[in-house]
Amino acid sequence: MDFDVIIIGGGITGVSTARDCALRGLKTVLVERDDLTAGATGRNHGLLHSGSRYAVTDRESAAECIRENLILKKIASHCIEDTGGLSITLPEDDLSYQSTFVECCRAAGIDARVLDPEEVKRKEPAVNPELVGAVWVPDASVDPFRLTTATALDATLHGAVILTYHELVDFVIESGRMVGVRVLDKRSGETLTFNAPVTVNAAGIWGASIAARCGIQISMYPAKGSLLIFGHRVCRMVVNRCRKPSNADILVPGDVVSVLGTTSSKVSLEECDDIRVSADEVDLLLKEGERLSPKLSSTRVLRAYAGVRPLVASDDDPTGRSISRGIVLLDHELRDGLPGFITISGGKLTTHRLMAEQASDLVCSKLGVSARCTTDKTPLPGSEQTVQMPDKSISARAAATRHGSRISKMDFAGKSEVICQCEHVTRAEIEYAVQCLDVHNLIDLRRRTRIGMGTCQGTFCMSKVATVLAEALGTPWKAPEFVREYVRERWKGIVPVCWGESLREAEYMRKQYGNEI
Amino acid sequence: MRFDTVIIGGGLAGLIVGCGLLEAGQKVVAVTRGLSLNEAPRNRFISLGGEYLPGDSVLPGGEWKNDRLLRVYTRNLGKTPLEADNFILSTGKFFSRGLVTSMDSVREPLFDCLVDYEHDRSRWCTNEFFDRQPFEDFGVRVDDRHRVFLEEGRIAENVYAAGEILAGQIDIEESALFVCKNLI
Repeated sequence: MDFDVIIIGGGITGVSTARDCALRGLKTVLVERDDLTAGATGRNHGLLHSGSRYAVTDRESAAECIRENLILKKIASHCIEDTGGLSITLPEDDLSYQSTFVECCRAAGIDARVLDPEEVKRKEPAVNPELVGAVWVPDASVDPFRLTTATALDATLHGAVILTYHELVDFVIESGRMVGVRVLDKRSGETLTFNAPVTVNAAGIWGASIAARCGIQISMYPAKGSLLIFGHRVCRMVVNRCRKPSNADILVPGDVVSVLGTTSSKVSLEECDDIRVSADEVDLLLKEGERLSPKLSSTRVLRAYAGVRPLVASDDDPTGRSISRGIVLLDHELRDGLPGFITISGGKLTTHRLMAEQASDLVCSKLGVSARCTTDKTPLPGSEQTVQMPDKSISARAAATRHGSRISKMDFAGKSEVICQCEHVTRAEIEYAVQCLDVHNLIDLRRRTRIGMGTCQGTFCMSKVATVLAEALGTPWKAPEFVREYVRERWKGIVPVCWGESLREAEYMRKQYGNEI
Repeated sequence: MRFDTVIIGGGLAGLIVGCGLLEAGQKVVAVTRGLSLNEAPRNRFISLGGEYLPGDSVLPGGEWKNDRLLRVYTRNLGKTPLEADNFILSTGKFFSRGLVTSMDSVREPLFDCLVDYEHDRSRWCTNEFFDRQPFEDFGVRVDDRHRVFLEEGRIAENVYAAGEILAGQIDIEESALFVCKNLI
């Protein structure tokens, strides 16, 4: 099969690159070995950075962040909750840092407003009442799953082919030029060959080992970050510490939960495939997190998870000491003498669109295509218009928050039975996800509909959801397998926080699902 | 109110002990939140003449003389205590709050009985969901007559544990019948 461009990696960067290329009229194929967002995209803080955290030490990154922040708020509005953010100074912090912070934010184009601590306590009753200073910044909460799903949808609507569960087998290199890839369709067992003049390596932390297959060295520094999800939306705004970035100093609201993070520790590339949160990390997060909001110590911890930041050593320093959190775009024709291959890496969720733009610009220049980027002005499906509600039911409204105007594609009539009660997900929404959003198991479904992300974390509805999903896929006998797979996946997040209420839930889960289904 | 035996926790274990004691002619009361769905044992308990107090829970502490429990109070009965020769602790494990946990401890909340558990929290679970979990074996320590310990070396003379509150891999019915035999 012949394409203009092949993209390896189904995280937000790869998917966004696929969208950008498709919008420019390129014949695009994306291959992802697992499901979309299986890497760092599905394991981050859900924070749309204002850039304020980088303003003091890295003005360029900060300016990049705020520009993208404002763009995404327009084009991806149904994926973002514009909560605003606070940067608070606690008694043990240096209050004089605040004025430097505000100055640097403004110099980077970030709106920063000093607030009266007393006023902040009234607006945010759960914030640490000991605070001695506060600055408002335009942080926001973003749902990375929704964002990626909508981006992938738009890419496919414009002709891109997105293939999940397709793993790279090897590259096709002819006369010193990369001309394509061979991939394994993990579900059918078939090997396929795709040809294209340009291949984009957008595989995050796995990009290093992918490049290594053609003898190219990229020094990656896998930095693990652990996070905790609490069962309540403790604060309305994002809460940061006004100090040099450190552990556990951001609390982000997300739908009905709060996410506390994060840590930073180097891990091996091997560990990246099965990353787990340690008891020490949980203890550290809870101890530091309480300084942001003392309420956290009496709030149920739903689960813990970890992701690995794909940091790249900016000057190929193999010791990883000079690490940039900035965007890294590598043209392997110039850098390594291998035409037809580029890598896009580094960066952060907030700047994914810009990363995709830069990668797509390079792809187009290689292809001699003059089409320009339009992603900064083109709304994603779901964000493009005010939502026409088919009915005013809670279920329709819940679906609208997840899919925006795409709810017009859902068949609510007769299928409005609520399957997941915590998040109000109906049979109609599940069937829409199966038909239009490339869902093959419960884990895929969870990423696209929030099933299992609410207070019960899937404990009560798992069996029912599995049955509905298996029926919708035309394979009703697979329901028990879906449950087994899903319950194992949930367990990873419960183990590190298994005490108190979560231990009660764990005992219940074991009784309910523990005998081989 | 005076009884021969007070059953604290009316799940399967408590009700089996209760029925056995009623058949032996004892005057028995069961205090229970009533969360478990054991309709048949419950109906049998009541038809045998057992006093069934659902929607209620025993308050922590109780009144003791040396290491003998004399009476307990409940949330609903207020100032009226339940007095008995013997007490059965069959309050279950974590889900039913027979045992309560913090980040680093496991406690029996009513009488602070000695609990056998792994002190390193990182070993409470294993990574494989379908394996038996270490926490499923946590529970109160008992002597060879299933009497609980108030602390190391101090046995509560007349408080017997049955069911899931016990440490180790427990057969609920077997533990209940054993306790019954001890009291008849």
